[in-house]
Amino acid sequence: MAGKSKSPAALWPGLAALAAATVYLIALLAAERQALIISLIGVGVAAVTFVAWFRLFDALSHSFVENEDPLGACAILAVVAIAAYFRDDHFAMLLIVTVLLYSVATLGLNIHFGYAGVLNFAGASFFGVGAYTSAVLGTYTAVPHLIVLAAGGVAAALVGLLLILPVLRTRGHYAAVVTIAFALLFKTFLEVNDVLGGPQGMQVKGMKLLNWSFNDNVEIGPISLSFYMNYFVVSLALLIAAFILVRRLERSWIGLNLDALRLDNVAASCFGLDVARWKITAFLIGNVLIGVAGALYGMVGGFVAPNNYTFADSLVFVSILLLGGIGNPWGVVVATIIVVIIPEKLQTLQEYRFLLYALMVTAILLFRPQGLMPRPVRRYFPEWRP
Amino acid sequence: MSGLLEVRGLTKRFGGVVAIDGLDVAITPNEIVGLIGPNGSGKTTFFNVITGLHAADAGRVTFADVDITSATARTIYRAGISRTFQHSRLSLPLSLFDNIMIGNHTRLNQGLWFNLMRRAALRREFEDGYRAARALVEVFEPALVARMFEPVAGLPMIDRRRIEICRALISAPSLLLLDEPSAGMTHEETTELMDDILLVRDRHKDLTIIIIEHEMGVIERITNRCIVLNFGRKIAEGPYREVASAREVQEAYLGAA
Amino acid sequence: MDPGLFAQYVMNGLMLGMMYALVAVGFTLFFGVLDVIKFSHGDVLTVGAFTALATFAGLQALGLRSQWLDLVVMLALATLAMAVLGMAIARYFVLPLRTAPALNTLLITLMLGTALRESVRLFYPQGANPKHFPALLPRGSVDLGHFNLRLDNVLILGFGVLVIVGLQLLLNRTKLGLAIRAVAQDEETARAMGINFTAIVLITFAIGSGLAAIAGVMNGLYYNEVNFGTGLYLGVVGFSAAIIGGLGSIYGAILGGFLFAGLQTIGTVLLPFASAYKDVFAFAVVIAIMAWRPTGLIQEKISERV
Repeated sequence: MAGKSKSPAALWPGLAALAAATVYLIALLAAERQALIISLIGVGVAAVTFVAWFRLFDALSHSFVENEDPLGACAILAVVAIAAYFRDDHFAMLLIVTVLLYSVATLGLNIHFGYAGVLNFAGASFFGVGAYTSAVLGTYTAVPHLIVLAAGGVAAALVGLLLILPVLRTRGHYAAVVTIAFALLFKTFLEVNDVLGGPQGMQVKGMKLLNWSFNDNVEIGPISLSFYMNYFVVSLALLIAAFILVRRLERSWIGLNLDALRLDNVAASCFGLDVARWKITAFLIGNVLIGVAGALYGMVGGFVAPNNYTFADSLVFVSILLLGGIGNPWGVVVATIIVVIIPEKLQTLQEYRFLLYALMVTAILLFRPQGLMPRPVRRYFPEWRP
Repeated sequence: MSGLLEVRGLTKRFGGVVAIDGLDVAITPNEIVGLIGPNGSGKTTFFNVITGLHAADAGRVTFADVDITSATARTIYRAGISRTFQHSRLSLPLSLFDNIMIGNHTRLNQGLWFNLMRRAALRREFEDGYRAARALVEVFEPALVARMFEPVAGLPMIDRRRIEICRALISAPSLLLLDEPSAGMTHEETTELMDDILLVRDRHKDLTIIIIEHEMGVIERITNRCIVLNFGRKIAEGPYREVASAREVQEAYLGAA
Repeated sequence: MDPGLFAQYVMNGLMLGMMYALVAVGFTLFFGVLDVIKFSHGDVLTVGAFTALATFAGLQALGLRSQWLDLVVMLALATLAMAVLGMAIARYFVLPLRTAPALNTLLITLMLGTALRESVRLFYPQGANPKHFPALLPRGSVDLGHFNLRLDNVLILGFGVLVIVGLQLLLNRTKLGLAIRAVAQDEETARAMGINFTAIVLITFAIGSGLAAIAGVMNGLYYNEVNFGTGLYLGVVGFSAAIIGGLGSIYGAILGGFLFAGLQTIGTVLLPFASAYKDVFAFAVVIAIMAWRPTGLIQEKISERV
């Protein structure tokens, strides 16, 4: 079905869905009263059920798959439109930036789980490594901030390498237990080290590029923009770059190698694959994404603390992956939107969010393990026809 | 040494069990050799040791005059030995094309920069790969060409075996190890499969095959000679008809009279 | 080093090793029969400890204040309740996912564990804070030179030994144990022999989870405190211990448990400046062992046929 296209799929279902989603998100983000928010969520669930009931999902995903590039560009425009609408609303802008950066981090984690088959349960800890790197470099050095971001990525990659090298040739659950142990110990490590701020954490200097300070509100004539708009631009650029990277990685011989070694590493080595090399490469690339996103997010928030990078937080990233559909970058973005925005809006749920995520993922694993947007068969060059 | 594959005194133990016991084998280029014997006689273990999945406990394996006794599976593949598996190890969620390309590793550019940035060049390599895969698949089952980008999981067992053989053949190996390729097939399908393999061999000129089989009809028809194993030892060697009538062989299969 | 201090360290090490061993044995049992890593095991321990705590509160409310009676009832109830919980987890979450990729089972048990842990934190009164666990064992102690040997610790240790010996007897001398070992070795053959696979799996999960409850109560008695996060930590330690001992081997699990405790003790001695570092040390050594001997010190069950 996915391989041969009988006729070029229509663009309009995808466009319609994007437009509807944009309006919906604006409404959801703008809503203040809990009753309104709950009804909006209800409308969303009803709409999805409607689409599934009338089997419109296939037409919809066909439209997206066949017109990925134009619809991708439209998605970017949609995001910009949403940001433009909330240009002076700090809370909404922060939420949007959070979604963007969490998406980058989860895209990195997706390379681990979805492609290389490395079970990394310390996603939030590596995110924290990036964040603390930016805190430390910002506080103690005068390293330019773009380099700080890169350093965050490198730091996360190196720490990850230390963990994963010993368990490279072992079965999946080894990586799982090693990363869980790291996730638990990382928080304790941060708390006992006063040079890293101890339990209170550290402040992170806001980003500054070429004397443009990101932490000042922007004034363009009569228009006043939240200072988060600065971070929004950088985060969006980062997400676009990460997305393209992940897309190209999957649609290449490297993506094939990763799938091969994940699915059957014995057969893969019989056909010449250097399993260790590719696992390490994938792990490093994924961690670089996580670390850079973490470093930037540290600057956005203005401070870092051990309590933000716990094992439970790592499980949130894993929930996003499972909800969206492991291996599908679009699924990652959609799931991030759901997982980040809904608990923030439904304040009453905030306390219960870890429990709810756990129950949600359990349900997904029992009833729809492939997630909201299952990963389709690899198409190296979507426009290509045999 | 004129042999392509020379095995001397090969021994492999698993705990207390001797799976292969002092085995001597010499395969000359371009022949088709059958490897037969009762269940548990060490045939698949032999393949596993040759291809580097298990380390030999004793003995020497030489391929094209190069010692590969302790080589890794990767090196052995690069040297030109390719195989299929008894339990058809394909990556089920991946497409037919993907599975076949896994076997094409030596000819694909694996560089990070190439794959991420030089997309036009990657596309050319992709198209070359497609043509090669398609040519192979057409030999075995032309109807599968239309399904080239569907998941292998949707194929019946016979077609999966065909794709597995394509995966083994795409790198143009010098030595092909087939492990019970006809398992689960009817008589007609097996005949067809063997004819197709011979067709590919004719096209590629230098292809030596060792085939493990339980279907004696296949062995009789396509092999030049057979090696019979029992309890990890070679008990007979020669053309099928000779070997089939040998007393030791009959006893091995049927038990002593 | 002062001999009294040394003896103290040894005692601590034995106590911890005992608890880790009990948890590790559970992991190894689950892996043995079902090839499954049940990540919720540690959190079942927590629920067991809290069940015991709740039972105690209930007994107090009923006016039954006999120490030994309280202890026996708490232990029995917690063990039974966790056995049932373990069976439910197997029946409704693990067995249905048998045909799915192994990752799914790992994930679902991880999430179940989180659900249990969060439920305790959110719904048990004051669950987020460490809770005082009653000291129900005799408080006497014997002075051996510089070392104060506490009676309650001896009792806990002794009881742990009894439990492990009892488990060994169960596995090696009873028909049930034989059935469990048969299923652990080869499911198909065991079924062909007429063994009820599902029943054995459920019973094994019940046993493993019951052991977790016992470990939870022991933990509570030893530290006089329980915490909603205790199980997660013990689970990670127990699982690591089971791995380095060799998944599938009961002896390996016990060995691994005591080995880890020994490493922690060495870590405490070598790095006295922060107790967190003892764990870093112990895990670093564990990771090194995993790299050196991936199948464990005693062979991990090999289930892969090429």
